[in-house]
Amino acid sequence: MTEAAGGGPRLQQKVAPPDVNALVSVLREASASRSVVQVVGGGTRQGYGSPPPFDIALHMTGFSGIEEWDPDDLTVTVGAGTPVADLEAELSGRSQTAVLPEVPGASTVGGVISAGVSSLRRARLLGTRERMLEVRLVTGDGRVVRGGGRVVKNVSGYDLPRLVVGAFGSLGVITSMCLKLWPKPAAAATVAIGDAETAARVRRPLAVLEHDGATDVFLWGTPEEVFSSAARLGGEMREGLHWPADPDGRYRWSLRLPPASTSEGVSRLPATWSHLAIHGAGEIRAASDAPDGAEDLRGWAEGMGGSLVVVEAPRGGINGMDPWGRPPPGLEIQGRLIAHFDPARVINPGRLPGGL
Amino acid sequence: MSLVQDLRAVLGDDRVLEEPVELYLYSRDASLMQGQATCVAFPHTTAEVAAVVRVAEAHGVPIIPRGAGTGLAAGAIPIDGGIVLSTTSMNQIELDVENRTAWVGAGVINLDLTKEAEPYGLSFAPDPSSQSACTIGGNVANNSGGAHCLAEGATTSHVLGLEVVLAGGEVLVLGGQAPDMPGLDLKGLIVGSEGTLGVVTRALVRLLPIEADVRTLLLDFEELSAATRTVSDVIAAGLVPAALEIMDQKMTTAVENWLRAGLPCDCAAILLAEVVGEPEAVEAEAALVSRIGMQNGARNVQVARDEEERAMLWKGRKSAFGAVAQVSPNYYLHDTVVPRSRLVETMEEVQAIADRHGLDVYNVFHAGDGNLHPLMAFDASDPVMLEKVHRAGEEMVAACLARGGALSGEHGIGLEKRDMMRDDFTDIDLDAQARLKEAFDPSGLFNPAKVLPEGSRCFDFGGVRREIPDGAWV
Repeated sequence: MTEAAGGGPRLQQKVAPPDVNALVSVLREASASRSVVQVVGGGTRQGYGSPPPFDIALHMTGFSGIEEWDPDDLTVTVGAGTPVADLEAELSGRSQTAVLPEVPGASTVGGVISAGVSSLRRARLLGTRERMLEVRLVTGDGRVVRGGGRVVKNVSGYDLPRLVVGAFGSLGVITSMCLKLWPKPAAAATVAIGDAETAARVRRPLAVLEHDGATDVFLWGTPEEVFSSAARLGGEMREGLHWPADPDGRYRWSLRLPPASTSEGVSRLPATWSHLAIHGAGEIRAASDAPDGAEDLRGWAEGMGGSLVVVEAPRGGINGMDPWGRPPPGLEIQGRLIAHFDPARVINPGRLPGGL
Repeated sequence: MSLVQDLRAVLGDDRVLEEPVELYLYSRDASLMQGQATCVAFPHTTAEVAAVVRVAEAHGVPIIPRGAGTGLAAGAIPIDGGIVLSTTSMNQIELDVENRTAWVGAGVINLDLTKEAEPYGLSFAPDPSSQSACTIGGNVANNSGGAHCLAEGATTSHVLGLEVVLAGGEVLVLGGQAPDMPGLDLKGLIVGSEGTLGVVTRALVRLLPIEADVRTLLLDFEELSAATRTVSDVIAAGLVPAALEIMDQKMTTAVENWLRAGLPCDCAAILLAEVVGEPEAVEAEAALVSRIGMQNGARNVQVARDEEERAMLWKGRKSAFGAVAQVSPNYYLHDTVVPRSRLVETMEEVQAIADRHGLDVYNVFHAGDGNLHPLMAFDASDPVMLEKVHRAGEEMVAACLARGGALSGEHGIGLEKRDMMRDDFTDIDLDAQARLKEAFDPSGLFNPAKVLPEGSRCFDFGGVRREIPDGAWV
């Protein structure tokens, strides 16, 4: 039970439609009765954005598993409810990866796409948006829509697959997507270095991550390349890629900056915050037990053209602090787009910036 | 006042053209189609673009944004009049070397951006064959690719922000240097929208460090399937080369006859592969590509010995379309994609279609991406021939779709393929696409009749019925 908008108790219903037809019925009925739907994948990011009080918890377990995968094509079509860890384990068997978050916990593929969460390898292999080739979704009013296609290159029509990334279901509930894969090369290593500047000795590393006072460079490629790069860096080398987990705390934050300002961003974090900085990408994941200092940090980040986003906070929010900060430009158009896909506004209403 | 008078009041007399010969030229692009412009406008600034948009709205006349006019899908063709808005005068470049980005005017030529960035050790990855002529605005409109987007992605992967003029003359700056701007990714939706949502005036692009070393290899095969198998095996070995391009014998011969680049003409296919990175990596990767090629029956593996040889190999690849112009007065080039595992059977089908219509087909393609460019050489002055070429082209596209492919990989839909969108998408899919357009451009001001077939906006369930305004393109 949560508090309804009017203050009274709200009766919540849990549904897990087994297929697209059942999902269409759920959404049509929700639209007809104006019931608020919260979409649940692995349940790892239910506090992200401004989640509204809801009537229906829509679990995506019925849309799980790989639909189509020919390793030769470097694409995979996968159900939205598939756990990221399961997908990556399966792909790993043929030395491929979807370049999704490395330490996903219970996250599902549909969940990380809807929340717009990217891999730690994003400075080299780019973010989750770049993985999306095709999307199938059910709109708020129950239309089954496909955009894009199952090939690695496609300019047929507007890029709906890219638009659903970070849209929190506002355009519809994703049922499946086709992702662009990347082959895993023969060798990989993690090298501990003194500071992020040292990483510049390697032109295009897979990742440079700074966390808990340590900086690691992640390398992959042919054995010759990996070992010579590691030697150039000069730090302690471990074979394989040893990814750190996201920092955890009562409050979790995402600080987004122009890439060259990443080190300054780390230095401006309040002293008690733990962090994981992705150098070259301008993303710093942070966690804290208290929100102190967040307003100042946000003011600085927004002045740099970036943002400080609240990813998770204890119930009740952060002293009136908006989870997204300054609303982005183009809110009117965003509102019109959403109205075309979810006219009764039943899927995660108000969760996006600007109350959309 | 007339449309032209109003535009001249904003831009001055010399930046609005209306002479018949000028209108004729600006009513064409690199496709075979001819449109009809009302006038051509050359704004220099974003504010002038906004003013042109307001004039167009006041007169109820559409705007057709245009870069260099190198598009092959008739995306820049005015239908039944309209203002052709040329972006070529907006050609400023502002580099930010520290962040490896640049704000680039829509009219900047693709290659000029790379030349500007080069002294700082940076480059712009998308490299369409037309890169010495095509503009960044055009690249953004079509989400252009090129030989090197196999490893680095097409234009959309390199656009971080956009300045765009929308309906009502509203100017928005979307995205930025920081990742993951909260809210819907409007910038990503505008890339590839072919000028139908608004006019892009500037783009914030990502630049990549120039690689330390590069090896370009030329492998020749007695069977096309051996060349495509090599491509699959290279990727299966964990390697994503910077480029993997195949030309068939006919195309190789045409290029060789023209350029004398030393290409082998007695083989079924040549594979051009390029690996980049640190010197030791490049050495090892080139050796791996050679070994895989030999295992698949490559007759020869030639490694470019110096930059001059490498440039010559690439000139051969990028001049393919020019080479065919030496053989025949016209050519019609298609752009489709199939899953890479179905390349060989698709190529066989393409050849069979050409044979059935008695047409010459030349093949050059981005093999790593499964992106085909079958090119039919013919004489357009013969109407029977033209009809045959169109029919064969449609059959080739259908053959790709039947194999799980897509209508276009990098050239766009434009006017050329918009009616084929029905072969790939359901009415409900197309209606959803039309709604995306409507959210930006409710009165159908920008580049009408492109991308989506007539009547796409036809479904409306559940929600409140919306009236479509008069004059809207639906």
